[in-house]
Amino acid sequence: MTIYRPLMALLVALLLAACSASNKAQIEVDEDGQPVTDVYSNNSLLGSRISIPDLKQKRVGDLLYVQATLENDWKFELDFQYKFKWFDADGFELAPESQPWQQVVMAGRSQNNVKGIAPNPSAVRFEIWVRE
Amino acid sequence: MRLLSMLLLGVAVVLSGCASKVDYGDAQARETVTTDFGSTDLQMIAAKMVDDMLVFPPIVQMTQNRRPVLFVDRIKNKTTEHIDTESITDTIQSKLINSGKFRFVDMTVVDRVREQLDYQSESGLVDPSTAAQMGRQIGAEFMMYGNLSSIVKRDDSTKDVYYKFTLKLLNIQTGIIEWTNEKEIRKTRSKSLFGL
Repeated sequence: MTIYRPLMALLVALLLAACSASNKAQIEVDEDGQPVTDVYSNNSLLGSRISIPDLKQKRVGDLLYVQATLENDWKFELDFQYKFKWFDADGFELAPESQPWQQVVMAGRSQNNVKGIAPNPSAVRFEIWVRE
Repeated sequence: MRLLSMLLLGVAVVLSGCASKVDYGDAQARETVTTDFGSTDLQMIAAKMVDDMLVFPPIVQMTQNRRPVLFVDRIKNKTTEHIDTESITDTIQSKLINSGKFRFVDMTVVDRVREQLDYQSESGLVDPSTAAQMGRQIGAEFMMYGNLSSIVKRDDSTKDVYYKFTLKLLNIQTGIIEWTNEKEIRKTRSKSLFGL
């Protein structure tokens, strides 16, 4: 944890420096197949305006299928991009270059469901990243 | 003296304005240089098509225990632009193969494969025990094809482009379209008074 903290701080600083605010949500499946959900966000402006009140996941065949509810907590329209990052059981990111940033425009104080399907059956964990 | 320094400053500004710079960018970044079909459109279309296809219940059922063989026919470009539609289907094909759910035969290399088979079986140079046998290829079960169309409207200050990409999966034996989906994209360019 002591190693991760400065790394996280550095990551946050880099993201802020690049003016691309990021907000991250992830869901993990424990050994019994039960989802373990954690939502992280940094202090950036976009991060403070978007929350993820709900995350759902299921297996479609053997592919992980995810629905995340994004909420615009701001009273004005938000125009941003999101992308899913998928990881296997060992923490390796799957097909990192095949996941494009997707555009989403949300009216003030509205919710929007975004969906993602794992690129292959080995995905067990995902993260959602957003940026302006 | 003051005039000279102002002149030098002006020259410096003009010269720095002419400097060109090459840089690498994020290939996944949103590209909005013009309203023409671009990389972001291609990526959005491919992602939407693959995601939708992989979660369509009959497709999920079909790929549960086997990996059906497909071939890509072509995407008819009905827009007024020159668009490399093969690039779109290549991306879709890559994603589908990497999902582990489908296999593909490539009709664009049939002639070259035949040449290689002829060489292996007839040239006398290849060890017959390792030569690929004729008539052992797997026939495709499904054909993938589609359309890309556009509607363009413009007036003095605004240009609006609407793209519609349709992809279909047809069972070659039965002629049934097993799956189809569309992706719509709208792009608008408006000129503002001060170019802002």
